[in-house]
Amino acid sequence: MSSAEIEVSQVRKVYYKDRLEIPVLDGLNLKIAAGEFVALMGPSGSGKSTLLHLVGGLDTPTGGSVRVGDAYLESMTERERTAWRSRHIGFIFQMYHLVPVLTAAQNVELPLLLFKMAANERKERVKTALTIVGLGDRMDHRPNQLSGGQEQRVAIARAIVTDPDAILADEPTGDLDAKTSDEILDLLNLLNSEFGKSILMVTHDPKAASRSNRIVHLEKGLLEREEINPVTVRESAVA
Amino acid sequence: MALPLSYHWRNLFVRKNTTILTVLVIAAVVGVFTWMIGFRGAVNQSLSVAGEERKIIVLKKGATAESNSAIPIDEYNKLGQLNSVEKNPATGQPRFSPEMIIQVSLPRLADGGMTFANVAVRGVTDDAFVVHSNVKELGTRFSVAEREVIVGVAASKQFGGLNIGDIVNIGFGGDRGYKVVGYFSADGGPMESEIWGYLPSLMNAYNRTMYSSVSLRLTPDADPKEVIAQIEGPAIQLTGKTEKDYWKEQTKLTQIYLFVTGALVAVMSIAAVFAIANTMYAVVAGRTREIAMLRTIGFDGYTILRGLILESVMVSLMGGIIGCLGCAAWLEIAGNTKDMFGATTFTTMAFEIHLTPVIVVAAMIMVTLLGVVGALMPGLRAARLEVLTALREA
Repeated sequence: MSSAEIEVSQVRKVYYKDRLEIPVLDGLNLKIAAGEFVALMGPSGSGKSTLLHLVGGLDTPTGGSVRVGDAYLESMTERERTAWRSRHIGFIFQMYHLVPVLTAAQNVELPLLLFKMAANERKERVKTALTIVGLGDRMDHRPNQLSGGQEQRVAIARAIVTDPDAILADEPTGDLDAKTSDEILDLLNLLNSEFGKSILMVTHDPKAASRSNRIVHLEKGLLEREEINPVTVRESAVA
Repeated sequence: MALPLSYHWRNLFVRKNTTILTVLVIAAVVGVFTWMIGFRGAVNQSLSVAGEERKIIVLKKGATAESNSAIPIDEYNKLGQLNSVEKNPATGQPRFSPEMIIQVSLPRLADGGMTFANVAVRGVTDDAFVVHSNVKELGTRFSVAEREVIVGVAASKQFGGLNIGDIVNIGFGGDRGYKVVGYFSADGGPMESEIWGYLPSLMNAYNRTMYSSVSLRLTPDADPKEVIAQIEGPAIQLTGKTEKDYWKEQTKLTQIYLFVTGALVAVMSIAAVFAIANTMYAVVAGRTREIAMLRTIGFDGYTILRGLILESVMVSLMGGIIGCLGCAAWLEIAGNTKDMFGATTFTTMAFEIHLTPVIVVAAMIMVTLLGVVGALMPGLRAARLEVLTALREA
């Protein structure tokens, strides 16, 4: 089980549209301890998803530094970031993004294909990941044979199967009903408390955010305020 | 680092109709391609058999083919001056094969006798079977005392009324019936498309007093150019051609036909590349989110490109297999012989087309290339996909 500290220092991100400069992050500082569960909130355009993408190495900052564990992402080439991402980051998307023609097990296996790993070991890992998310009996089901909640569970299994340092979740409950959302959030809490995974979750839902250790509010590319959730922090500490 | 084969295979059936249409386009290209290569092979085989440099065909001066050549007996006798001709060991005399060509109209078997073709009938003597050493009798030879003929195996497969015992009507108004008594082969050469009979008998049937051509073989030390120069020189004044050059000229129409068919295959191949490219663009557009997800979890652009090329090649190979099967079925149903009009003979040459393993392998290589070329641009587009934009679109 691995986990990593995430540190964002003086990060600026500027997009250009028709020669127009659009600043999204403007000197943001944020530190997430190894094994911490942080929810990112804020209005649209506040820079939540951009921050998530920078931490995941999907994009590079215009200025400043992004460190995940020992890796300084701004100094890496795209090729290096792609390789790094496959080993250190697990992604969870709002729309699950499962491959419809593959079974649940094959979807979960996808990230492992990037590693030199024996087929038996891959199979074992896939089974473990799907069992953790409660779908050990749905290995051979295709996405269209699963409910939305089950699809998201498969996506979570895919995110954790490589034992990443951090899990980045972009609105993981955005497409689910309240009950299923709770189940998914329970699962994220489990990954955080039992497996010590650092989690950075973007959400608009205050209820979802309340399941994290800390809620970070962004506004116009800057950290507006932070809220510590004493209940979840205590639970994490106990675990 | 590669995506599982099952991922690519199953994705082919996500857009069934597009895939099926593309497969059919490729199958059509391959069907025509394999048939054309088979036909080209048959023509080349035929020409290689009839490609002896040491065999000379003598025609009337200025004649381009046996059918428009007439050599009077006294001019034929002048060939006795040639001293580089193979001799008949029994007589010690140079061996000449005087021949006469006429045509008969016979029904094509391929269309059930709906159309007719001009089939060459060659009057020959015993010397012809020595000079044309590739000719092998399969059964009885025609009698010099009866109205009998033997038939080339290609002609017997291609045209009606050429079975043993059938009567071929020859002579002015077709008033003389010649019985088919045997077959002959010529190693797949053009003579297999002919009917052979006894020369004097056939000359008599048409009241001919002149030969159409004379064939002869040169001694091993003879220079064909020198002999031809002597034949065309002032002492003899006839036309001489090596067998190779003669049949090359006769198959000129076939070569044009092959060129046009080749051009058609080239155009169809370009269309197939566009069909593949169109399909793969649709695949990329339909799987933008999926590709973005794969890039996000760590698959690089090269893997995505390679995967799409693999899918494209799979589609192409399916088309290739169906095309080859279609060609084989066509050759089975419609017959594997194809006749072509000679360029100047006004007679028909039959070629036997075979779908050989080499042709199938060539077709598979061609479709693989089509698949790779067709997938290249859409694949590059997918490989260079803006991951963040694609994820936001999702």
